[in-house]
Amino acid sequence: MGIAFDSTAERPPHIDVILNGLDRYNPESTQIFEEYVSQQCEGRTHDIYANLALLKLYQFNPHLTKDEVITNVLVKALTVFPSPDFSLALHLLPPHILTPISASSALPAAGDAPLSEAVQKLNVLNNLLGQASYSAFWSTLDSDDLYADLIADVSGFEELIRIRIALTISQTVREIERSVLESWLGMQGESFEKFVSGVCGWAMSGSVIKVPLNKENEAKGTIVRENVKMEQFSRVIRRAYEQTA
Amino acid sequence: MSAFQNGAAPSRAVDDDSDVEEEALAADYREQVQYEGMEELEQVNSMSLAQQTDDIQSRLAAAAQPLDFSAPLETKFASYDNYCSLFHFILNSEGPVDLEPPSYYWAWDVIDEFIYQFNSFCSYRNRVARQANNDEEIQILREAPNTWGCYSVLNVLYSLIQRSQINEQLAAVKRNEEPMAVAGDYGSKSLYRMLGYFSIIGLLRVHCLLGDFSLALKTLDDIELNKKAMFARVMAAHFTTYYYVGFSYMMMRRYADAIRMFSHILIYVSRTKNFQKNAQYDSISKKNDQMYALIAICVAFHPTRLDDTIHTALREKYGDQLLKLQRGGPESLPIFEELFRSACPKFISPTPPDFDNPELNVDPLEHHLSIFMDEVKTNMWSPTVKSYLRLYTTMDLKKLAGFLEVEPEKLRGWLLVNKQRSRQIRWTDNGLLDGEVVTSSDLDYAMQGDLIHISEAKVGRKLVDWYLRNLARTY
Repeated sequence: MGIAFDSTAERPPHIDVILNGLDRYNPESTQIFEEYVSQQCEGRTHDIYANLALLKLYQFNPHLTKDEVITNVLVKALTVFPSPDFSLALHLLPPHILTPISASSALPAAGDAPLSEAVQKLNVLNNLLGQASYSAFWSTLDSDDLYADLIADVSGFEELIRIRIALTISQTVREIERSVLESWLGMQGESFEKFVSGVCGWAMSGSVIKVPLNKENEAKGTIVRENVKMEQFSRVIRRAYEQTA
Repeated sequence: MSAFQNGAAPSRAVDDDSDVEEEALAADYREQVQYEGMEELEQVNSMSLAQQTDDIQSRLAAAAQPLDFSAPLETKFASYDNYCSLFHFILNSEGPVDLEPPSYYWAWDVIDEFIYQFNSFCSYRNRVARQANNDEEIQILREAPNTWGCYSVLNVLYSLIQRSQINEQLAAVKRNEEPMAVAGDYGSKSLYRMLGYFSIIGLLRVHCLLGDFSLALKTLDDIELNKKAMFARVMAAHFTTYYYVGFSYMMMRRYADAIRMFSHILIYVSRTKNFQKNAQYDSISKKNDQMYALIAICVAFHPTRLDDTIHTALREKYGDQLLKLQRGGPESLPIFEELFRSACPKFISPTPPDFDNPELNVDPLEHHLSIFMDEVKTNMWSPTVKSYLRLYTTMDLKKLAGFLEVEPEKLRGWLLVNKQRSRQIRWTDNGLLDGEVVTSSDLDYAMQGDLIHISEAKVGRKLVDWYLRNLARTY
């Protein structure tokens, strides 16, 4: 199964035209990309290649920057962890964005402190997801009202994250304690049961959740055998001919 | 032109920001140019008719000349104006201009020098703003926000690419068709074809310097990375291409692909070093060391068997560091940081800095480094986990957590992380961004409650090499 970074099935043709032409640098494309971002937020699709092009336009034309679009792009990138999308987006933001706030808020004119604060908060979430500290992720998400504002535009954020978490769990786990899974998915009770059996299709028996076997969680030992090709012997065979001649 | 040439001192300071490998070609080349220059002087006196062509020839030569690192601001501005008028002449004359480039390497040199000057100008501007103690220069820079602007640099590169139809030509070559059929008036001339081709490499570099690693790789869609590629004929171009492709792969966490790129070029350099002039080889060696440092980083993320030549050289150059990287844990963090700093490109910020708030002008290197270090921190326990798992076929999670002196919950996280990171996208064919997910680790495991089942992919005995060697010996 090939993975294409620069194309998605859902991308509208007019976006594709811009991305493949020089209009990707045209400040007038900014608005089109911005609309596409909100489309992704509502439609639960994700197109990092187009979103990076938008961040690049912001990089070149800082006066066009819209803070809430940047945070939406980052929040969308969180929903596809553990892919590098979030980091790739961060690389295109202004270099001072990650300097600790205490240092920059001491400045007389730290104009975009709110943006850097938001970005750093999201970066915390990204690191928690990256480190598979899922229960810490959920408690951090609940700990600050700012997070609720940041993820408000992204429809189904929590569910998208839960699906991703379930996916990484299914790579490694065959059976898991219910209490552990509950904290990882950040949900309990009936909604938990509905998600586990309905969305994931995992079986529950007592306090243990069973994840069906798949290619990843089998962990079968293999022996890599040598792959011998005819060409490797070409010299020997040619030598044999030359000798008799 | 005069200001520009006056500024072109014979050599740059040793510890400057230059991409040293280009220095050699340039030094080599400078001798030729000076020689030709003298000839020209004599000719001009005798033949005033030829004066005009001589003038453009010396402008061509000047454009490929390295600018002194410590050249004053006026010289940098003048140099920018020179490039603008030269590229304007090449691109916007009526029809393609009929010019013979001064040498085969000229097209590469000129693009290389153009980007180098853009790069060092942006770094310099950022530094002036950050230090905020030279009011005179701040004033000059503040008044000229568009000099060496990223839009004009990209404009030059894209225009050269479009004029020469180079992407269409390369696509035709890929389909085994005649490139000249799609080359057009401009692209059929070698001057335009070469400038267009090296502008693609130039774009790869500019995007990488700006931190847009995926677009950097995307730029090379039409170039096939193999020995037949045009860049392979110019050593500095070959070298530069692989460095930036490898680096971009590393930043996209595609370590296997990055290692493949660095290994290719490092093997190539080590095989050809005897054929290259000494001066040239010396100057390549700085970038060479940088790539070994990057390989060390990638191998720490993605343990794999390296080519013997590379492995030996790596152990010689970075033996101690590699050992610490591979051991992981918090002790490895400073080493990662040190190697990254020494081996990354000189990142730039594309827009003029904020001269009124010096503190906001953070060095772009720090920004990219901190993002990279987050990824390092995410991964730093993987070596520890793996080294223990290797010893068992089944293991109790709580017992292992006791060995490692961590909370069982933490260990569960580490196990998940290691598993995720051992799945990587790896290139198979088509564009550099394409690829398939492969398992990169020989160690696999699964958790059944608190019980960890561990399995290893064992490599069977490799007999063919042994068999062939002995066959060769006996007859």
